[in-house]
Amino acid sequence: MAKQMLIDAYRGKRTEKPPWVPYAGVHCAFLINEPADKMLQDPELLAKGVVNTAKRYNADGIPLVFDLSVEANSIGCDLKWWADNVPSVTNHPCSDKTPKDAGLQMPTKESGRWPVLYEAARIAKPQLDELDCVLMGLFCGPLTLASHLAGVRIFTDVYKNPEFAAEVIKFAGEVGAEAAKFYAEMGCEIIAIVDPVASQIKSETFQQFVTPNSQPAIKAIHAAGATSSFFICGDCTKVMEDVCKIGTHGFAIDEQLNMLFVRDLARKHGVGFGGNLKLTLALSLGLLSPREDAIVSLAAGGQEGYTFAPG
Amino acid sequence: MADKITIDVLTLDSVQCAACGYMMESIAALPSDVQDMIVYKEWSIKNKDGIGKFMELKGKVLPTICIERDLVFESIIPQYEELIDEMAKRAPNDEMRGRIESLREKGFEFDKIQENLAKAGAGMSTRTDSKVE
Repeated sequence: MAKQMLIDAYRGKRTEKPPWVPYAGVHCAFLINEPADKMLQDPELLAKGVVNTAKRYNADGIPLVFDLSVEANSIGCDLKWWADNVPSVTNHPCSDKTPKDAGLQMPTKESGRWPVLYEAARIAKPQLDELDCVLMGLFCGPLTLASHLAGVRIFTDVYKNPEFAAEVIKFAGEVGAEAAKFYAEMGCEIIAIVDPVASQIKSETFQQFVTPNSQPAIKAIHAAGATSSFFICGDCTKVMEDVCKIGTHGFAIDEQLNMLFVRDLARKHGVGFGGNLKLTLALSLGLLSPREDAIVSLAAGGQEGYTFAPG
Repeated sequence: MADKITIDVLTLDSVQCAACGYMMESIAALPSDVQDMIVYKEWSIKNKDGIGKFMELKGKVLPTICIERDLVFESIIPQYEELIDEMAKRAPNDEMRGRIESLREKGFEFDKIQENLAKAGAGMSTRTDSKVE
């Protein structure tokens, strides 16, 4: 396990070998025989799950949580909990009003589940340091958080009601900046904006709404001296150039993208990139050999700015 | 079911994957008058039934909204009017087409989303041993 190697790769630098990050998420709960909902609400169990997973998989870095409901929950969204999955957001306070009219406030360290995360990080961080493993902070990106706040209408509003969309997404970006500061304070050395739904829009929409509203968080991460990344899911081919230019040190993608295409794009822009062991086809369903799939990813990714990770 | 429009949403998992979740919500938030004219289901490729449906419909990317077996919205979360237009094009008769088109200005409704998602089995079949009911 090697923290510096991971940080170097995330920043687009050459490494002795590709570092490895399992985005374990609620799989950490499975590995300690606990339900996901219980682990995510109990700081001791969360720390235990994360450290145990880092050890088991010889991780060079591991996220404290991979749960995009944390920010929404901390500013007023309700959750549905699942024993084998992350919680889902069940209401949208901005479905018919702006964040200001809905009375939404910036989160504090005391809001929602942030106290649980602070305590879990306090327990896990020294143990991960001892393993030479980076504690990573992942938070909900501006468009995904705006979707949680306003519901699916946000994807219509970006075209039909852009002023409303701009207000919601700007607020979401400011919440993200607060989350980034919280993770920096917890000691996370790599902090990533995770905006999966940003793959489901056109490039112009990305440039208009996602790029500017990611800047407050990127500024906060860099001001704290941490390494930044932008995680995106799905077939994001149409916005990949925009992702490379957003201003983070690197990005990560999922199994739906071709690793050679991604590698060449990352190198062109001098940023780090991560992926893309097939989460469903190989790891979950076994339709492909995970070993063969790993070899393909590792061969394509190489040793310059590449982090091996599930996609 | 000839008197209804069939919508299949191909997903990774609408709970874990936000893009999949909002693809599902785009259908679940259609107004109640539209809900009366459609039947829809989530097909997560985390289980064999979902993989079967993905292959059967010749899916290419996740998430995808299929209307009457056509891959209509592939990795793009639709606007309300786009959904209405694509459903109207595939309505089984002129009377239903007219009813759907008359709802073009109505917009999404958010009060029954959870109930509608439950009816569509959203998030309920995401284990490898799950069956899609």
